[in-house]
Amino acid sequence: MTSPSRAISSAAVYAMLGVGAIITLAPFVFGVVTSFTSARQFATGTPLQVPDPPTVANYAGLADAGFGRTVVVTALMTAVIVLGQLTFSVLAAYAFARLTFRGRDAIFWAYIATLMVPPTVTIVPLYLMMAQAGLRNTFWALVLPFVFGSPYAIFLLREYFRTIPADLINAARLDGASTLDVLVHVVIPVSKPILVTLTLITVVSQWNNFMWPLVITSGPKWRVLTVATAGLQSQYNGQWTLVMAATTVATVPLIVAFVAFQRHIVRSIVVTGLK
Amino acid sequence: MVSARVRTTTTAYALLAPSLFGVAAFLLLPMFVVGWLSLHHWDLLGPIRYVGLDNWRSVLSDGTFGNSLVVTALFVALVVPVQSALGLLAASMLARQLPGGVFFRTLYVLPWICAPIAIAVLWHWLLAPTDGAINTLLGRQVEWLTDPGLALPVVSAVTVWTNVGYVALFFLAGILAIPEEIYRAARLDGAGPWQRFRRITLPLLRPTLFFVLVTGIISAAQVFDTVYALTGGGPQNRTDLVAHRIYAEAFGAAAVGRAAVMAVILFAILVIATIAQHLYFRRRISYDLA
Amino acid sequence: MIARPDRPDRPDRPKRPKQPKQPKRPTRPKFSTLTALSLAAAMALLLVSAVTLGRETEPPGRTVVTVRLWDQQVAGAYRRSFDEFTRRHPGIEVRVNVVAFSTYFDTLRTDVAGGSADDIFWISNAYFAPYVDSGRLVDVTSSFGPQAVAGWEPSVVDQFTRDRRLWGVPQLTDAGIALYYNADLLSAAGVDPAVLDSLRWSPDDTVDTLRPLLSRLAGGRGRQWAYNAANDLQGIYLNYIGSAGGVFSVGDRFAFDNAQAAEAFRYLVRLINVDKVAPPASATNDNGDFSRNMFLQGRMALFQSGTYNLAAVAANAPFRWGVALLPAGPAGRVSVTNGIAAAGNSASPHPESVREVLAWMGGTDGNAYLGVGGAAVPAVLAAQRTYFDYWAAKGVDVAPFFDVLHGPRISAPGGAGFAAGFNALKPYFDEMFLGRLDVAQALPQAQTAANAAAER
Repeated sequence: MTSPSRAISSAAVYAMLGVGAIITLAPFVFGVVTSFTSARQFATGTPLQVPDPPTVANYAGLADAGFGRTVVVTALMTAVIVLGQLTFSVLAAYAFARLTFRGRDAIFWAYIATLMVPPTVTIVPLYLMMAQAGLRNTFWALVLPFVFGSPYAIFLLREYFRTIPADLINAARLDGASTLDVLVHVVIPVSKPILVTLTLITVVSQWNNFMWPLVITSGPKWRVLTVATAGLQSQYNGQWTLVMAATTVATVPLIVAFVAFQRHIVRSIVVTGLK
Repeated sequence: MVSARVRTTTTAYALLAPSLFGVAAFLLLPMFVVGWLSLHHWDLLGPIRYVGLDNWRSVLSDGTFGNSLVVTALFVALVVPVQSALGLLAASMLARQLPGGVFFRTLYVLPWICAPIAIAVLWHWLLAPTDGAINTLLGRQVEWLTDPGLALPVVSAVTVWTNVGYVALFFLAGILAIPEEIYRAARLDGAGPWQRFRRITLPLLRPTLFFVLVTGIISAAQVFDTVYALTGGGPQNRTDLVAHRIYAEAFGAAAVGRAAVMAVILFAILVIATIAQHLYFRRRISYDLA
Repeated sequence: MIARPDRPDRPDRPKRPKQPKQPKRPTRPKFSTLTALSLAAAMALLLVSAVTLGRETEPPGRTVVTVRLWDQQVAGAYRRSFDEFTRRHPGIEVRVNVVAFSTYFDTLRTDVAGGSADDIFWISNAYFAPYVDSGRLVDVTSSFGPQAVAGWEPSVVDQFTRDRRLWGVPQLTDAGIALYYNADLLSAAGVDPAVLDSLRWSPDDTVDTLRPLLSRLAGGRGRQWAYNAANDLQGIYLNYIGSAGGVFSVGDRFAFDNAQAAEAFRYLVRLINVDKVAPPASATNDNGDFSRNMFLQGRMALFQSGTYNLAAVAANAPFRWGVALLPAGPAGRVSVTNGIAAAGNSASPHPESVREVLAWMGGTDGNAYLGVGGAAVPAVLAAQRTYFDYWAAKGVDVAPFFDVLHGPRISAPGGAGFAAGFNALKPYFDEMFLGRLDVAQALPQAQTAANAAAER
């Protein structure tokens, strides 16, 4: 039942939410509109005019600048990291959660301790290590630091795995299941929500990773989308129509994925945060 | 049986092997390497030379690193409270669960999902002095990113814009977890909406608030992409956040040893800050919702 | 009534623990091994793709040599030159890679350090020293013999000589700086282009003819500027320092904190911030192309720059234009001249092919292409005619760029620590040009910072 004061404040709430929506959306809309404006119209007219003939010339320009390969490299890097990181994290989390062995707790706390190591601090030494190993500007350099599992993911998975009823696992073992069987047939099916969550988190953070690829790769061969976007901005300084096309390409895949999976993503953000 | 335990241990270590390697090689080892590197001179092209404490002396005596720390502290002080307050505001409105709320909730997270560098490039155009969208709308030529007084607040504003929706989600979950009975009881006791907020919502949100503050500070202290694309360190180094300074030292000025010194100091500061926050808050979030 | 037989008592059976529905009992370790195998297969597939992506796409039987530079216009000329080269040397293909100037030297350093730099790359006098010192460049004196320098522009050879050896094959000389002018804007303001050749700037207002002219040429608030005074080392302030009688650097050290240089800077800062005849420094400090774009759009009457912008102006200016001598100062008319050389990457996997390409680039035939399209002045002396012929045919008098070189010159700065030093002075110079930091304070602070950074 809405009392009059509640009804008024409902309208006020909608108004404020609406303002928030405009502030959130407007930049994207402006950017996309500009990306479809021809460079000439942008230079001669005012920047916010509706593109008179809207044009895809800017996107064609991106293709010339090698964005096709860039997208492929980024997708490949993300896929490799997600696959590797999740697999190895699941294995480790299972060991911590359900096996008893010497050194378990010590090693687990060591993992947790590394959560406090900020990425900014590891970039420089990792660069040196890669340089000494001769791995600068290679695909391996892009993925190796991340592919072997993430303490964050291991921590979350372990929490989740601990809640799996012991009976499920024991029953499977009684049927002669090996550890691998238990993982595939008991643990993973039951953990689908957290796995979806982690997949989404990892995809987002790897797709958007900037500083490491910037530092460890150079040139067009292994350039990823984030680095290419920033590079375009300096290469074509002032050619905003082209640069806006690049930002659109950089952001659209995730926006689309986000809208498609929004419930999962929202839940994943909250679930991982409040644990 | 001994053999069973040995088998379990072997299995366990087999399962752990990949992540052990990863953690040791890419998280633990770098910590030692960065310390070692801070005692050497390297310009990326030549050989690595041992120079003892020269880098430490140099970093601690010239003002650039100190400036970065101050700038970062200011930045964190601007960003974290504002994004938390706005996030809380948004969450309170979304908690009403009015029809269409899901749409807004989804929309607000959009900036956070996108790559920070792409967001920064987008805002770089929006804020451009002559042909940017904002100045065109305003009809004036405001120097958003080149005025020393404006640059840092503007960069902070962009960061807040990016994070509000994300922060709001946490508060929203926290608010929704508060049982309705408590509010009902309070209403029966005659408490008005503001009192309910102050006496019930806020205190019960302490754990969420703690989480939002701690993670907000840690991530704000490491902002890099935004500075790189918007100001490159800013007018008169006014937006030279620590992460950017480390990058600029290592890969711009080619003084990798100095960058390593800065990284070590940053690490120490963040660890101390995290521990301090944990100690401070641990004593204050013992609310039971039973 | 028939009695129903009693159901025998069921003995109590221990209850089986309740199990939630499980997927159909898998027959086997075969299934989970299958899953593991398919995961591994997926990963293998991804990794194979990565390796394939990484494969050098070398056309069979040919060596590919890559050349890096920063000028889009000249790149076109190079491509034509290399087409001819490949016709004469069918086993070698040359690819041109253009990187924006604003990031050129940062990325060059990390690329060379990372072993992923191109086989041949442009270097400028200001930035090449560290590469020599760490042995990254091909020693041209050894490769081509000391007589080779005879055919090259001497000022460029000088700039790229270090430790008495030459480290790059001279490619271009920028000639001097001159004044492009928009003839339409000049006639609209009633200014005769002939007066441009005798312009003088001076801190003394009674002698200064430049400022009054600029005030006449500037139009309505910011819509039309008269001149491109800005924080531009090569195009603007180095020449002003020289024509004021000051110095910018001495050897490897920055030395711009002297009275004459201060006069020069003060003059420029006044033009920008007080007279407002030039675009605000906030627009030009970080965007080197801003003024050129304004000139090309017809919004700037006079544009002081070098031959490196000539092709762009000729191709894109929709108005009548010409070139005049650059303004003289209290110490005469002084210009900087700069050269560019192509350095060989000493770590290239194809040193022999690199040598052949370098020989072509340093020879009359190869270097002439740069001049033929009017894109740049070839550093090979015998090839320079092509440049003059081209512009003469177009009716553009390029004499101002060269005549100015008959007078005194100011040397382009350089040295091992130049990059770091220049980075360090930039914030001070930015603020100085913005009018927020007084010239008298900015110069000493900037010089100290620059020299400190350069020494590290």
